[in-house]
Amino acid sequence: MSKYDVIIVGAGAGGGVAAGVLAEAGKRVLLIERGRNLSFEDVGRDHLRNQRLSQYGHNAGPDINSNPRTLEVNGDERTIRPHEGGYHANAACVGSGTRVYGAQAWRFMPQDFRMASTYGVPKGSSLADWPITYDELAPYYERAEWEIGVCGSHDAMKHLPDYNKPYPMPPQSVHTQGRTFRNGAAELGWHTLPIPLLINSVPYNNRPACIRCQHCVGFACPVDAKNGTQNTLIQRALATGRCDLLTETMVERITTDSAGRVTGIAYFDKDGQRIEVTSEVIVLSAGAVETARLLLNSATSAEPNGIGNAGDQVGRSLQGHYYPGAVGLFPEPVHDGIGPGASTATCEFNHGNDGIIGGGMLADEFILLPIIFSKRTLPPDLPRWGAANKNFMRENYRRVSDIKGPVQDIPSYDARVTVNQKVRDRWGIPVANLSGTTHPETVRTANFMHERAKEWVKASGAVKVWGAPPGLFLSGGQHQAGTARMGDDPQSSVVDKWSRVHGHDNLYIADGSVHVTNGGFNPVLTILALSFRTAEHIAQNW
Amino acid sequence: MLSAHQTEILRAAVNRIIPPDDFPGGWEGGVGDYLSRQFKGDLKDLLDTYRVGLDALDAESQAAIGTGFALANAEAQDSLLTQIEHGSVKTTWPIDPESFFSMMIDHSMEGFYSDPGNGGNRDQIAWKMIGFEVRG
Repeated sequence: MSKYDVIIVGAGAGGGVAAGVLAEAGKRVLLIERGRNLSFEDVGRDHLRNQRLSQYGHNAGPDINSNPRTLEVNGDERTIRPHEGGYHANAACVGSGTRVYGAQAWRFMPQDFRMASTYGVPKGSSLADWPITYDELAPYYERAEWEIGVCGSHDAMKHLPDYNKPYPMPPQSVHTQGRTFRNGAAELGWHTLPIPLLINSVPYNNRPACIRCQHCVGFACPVDAKNGTQNTLIQRALATGRCDLLTETMVERITTDSAGRVTGIAYFDKDGQRIEVTSEVIVLSAGAVETARLLLNSATSAEPNGIGNAGDQVGRSLQGHYYPGAVGLFPEPVHDGIGPGASTATCEFNHGNDGIIGGGMLADEFILLPIIFSKRTLPPDLPRWGAANKNFMRENYRRVSDIKGPVQDIPSYDARVTVNQKVRDRWGIPVANLSGTTHPETVRTANFMHERAKEWVKASGAVKVWGAPPGLFLSGGQHQAGTARMGDDPQSSVVDKWSRVHGHDNLYIADGSVHVTNGGFNPVLTILALSFRTAEHIAQNW
Repeated sequence: MLSAHQTEILRAAVNRIIPPDDFPGGWEGGVGDYLSRQFKGDLKDLLDTYRVGLDALDAESQAAIGTGFALANAEAQDSLLTQIEHGSVKTTWPIDPESFFSMMIDHSMEGFYSDPGNGGNRDQIAWKMIGFEVRG
C-alpha cells in the first residue's frame, strides 16, 4: 500500500489549495515543491532581482543556474536562464506566485467561459468554450475569496452576476492616484470599482491588516497581510498532520504501470538522489509551462507522445496576457506613497467592444520601484541621460502614473511548449522549449485597449500621455495558462470538466494549464477556485 | 579591476550621465560603489568591455578636443558623449560606441536608483531626491 493517497506536484496557487482541501478531507498528501520555503528576509527587497524586475536574478526562484529553457524564434533556438527575457518565469517557492504577487482577485465573467460562442473562432485560432459555466464555478470563487481572503466591494462588481456573499473584507481606503483616476472615469461616464485584492484590509485569519507599504507586488509582505497559499491552505494542510511538504525537490516524470496507468512519480531530492513514490492519485500544479513539460517528459509505450497527448494538445495554446497601457504626467503629485498602489479598475471594456474580440480590464498601477520607473516608464522623448533626465526623475516621479490591464488572449495552436531533448536541466531532464506567438487578433484587441487607456489617462487630467501599442509576440509569463485545456472531447482538449486528464482515472491538473481561455483579468482567483472544485471532486471520488 | 586612470574616466562619464546639482552626481551617489561590487558579480564578464570602452572614450576625447576625457570640462564632455550616443565618432572603436554608452547609462541608473543593498544609492539619496518612501 502506498504511503500517500495523493501526490501534488507544485506548491503554488493550485497545488496549495488542493493540498489543504485533500488533507482536511482525510487524505494522506505529499506536496512537492522545487523551490524553497522562503521567509520575508529570504525574499528581501532587492530592486534588481525580483519578480517585477529580474535584471540579474529572482528573489523567489527559480534558481537561475539550474533551470534553463530554450526559446525558438523564426527557427533560431536560444538557451535562456529564468531571469532572462522570453523565459516566461513564474516564482518557484512555497506559495509560488502567491508569495510575491500583486494579489488581484478577479473572477472571470460569464462570457469569458463562452468565447467561441460569443465571438466565433477567428481563422487560425484555437479559441473554444469552456465545458463549465461561470455559475458552476461561482461557489468556488466564493470559497477562494473567503478561505484565502479577499478585500473588495461586491456591490461594485456590476460586470458580474450578483454575489451570494459579499467579500469578507471591505476595500482599502482610496489614495490620491485612485481618486484621480476615479474622477477621470466619471468624466468619461465609465463605472469604476475598487480592485478586489487578496490582501487584508482589516485583520483577518489571525493576521494583521496591510500597512500600505511600497514594496507589494514582486515582494513578500512585511506583516504577512498578503494572502497566498503559503499562509492559508498549505498551513491548513500541514496542521492536519497528514501532509508532507518536500521542498527543493524536482519531479522528473510521472510513473506508470505496464498498461500505462499512472502509479506515482519519480523525483530528485535535495541531494540529487532519484526516488520513486506511489499514490492513488496524482495532481499536477507546476504551472502551464512546467506541467506541460512534465506530461511530455512522461511518455510511455501506451502514450508515446506524452501523457494526455493523444489529441496533440499538450503544450499548445499557451496564453498569458498582453498588458497595453498609457502613462500620464499630471500637474500635481498623484503618488502619495500609499501602497500597494493599484486601487481602481474599470470593466467597461471586457466585452461588447464593436468589431473587437473580447477586451480586458484596465486599472491603475502598483507603486513603481524607482529603477523600474527609470528603465521603463519615462517618456520616449526624454533624453536618457544628463540633467534633463535627472530633473525629470526628481520633479515627476510623484506626478507620473499609468493605466494598464490584461487583454484576453486569443489563443493560437502554435503558441507552444514542447520539450527539447538536446538541452537538459541540472537534473538531466529535457527542458521546456517555447515557440510561436499569440493570434494576431490579440494584438488588435490590445491596440483597442491601449487607446482606452490613453483616453482614461487624458480624462484624468494628464498634461502629457505616452506609451506605445504592442506588437505580436508569445504571451505566457506569470499569467501562463492554456497548455492542458479543459474540454469534453479528448481530441481537442487534455482534461475533462473535472480537470482529470482524458484517458486516465487518477491524474488531475490544478493550475492555469486547464484554462481554455484566460479572461481579461489576472487569472489567480480562477486557478484557486478551480483547484477547490477539482480537489473537492477528488475527495468525493477517491 | 579597472586601472586608476580608467576609473577616473568612468567617474567623469557617470557624473555627466547623472550630473551633480544640489543632489550628488551619480558617482558620489553610489554608482562607483555599485559598479565596483558588480564588477566582481553580475557584471564580471563586462569588465573587459568597460576597459576597452573607457580607453576608446579617452582616445576619442584626445582626438576630438586634445585632452583626456576626465580632464575635459563638463560642456566638452557632454558634447562628446552626445556624439558617441549617436554613433558619430572620429576614432576607430574596437567595440560599438553607441552600445557601450547605452550600457553605461543602464548601469549608472541601476547604481543610483536601485536599493542600497546593491551597493549604490548611498543613504537612499536618490529615493529622497525623487520622493520614494520606504515603510515596513
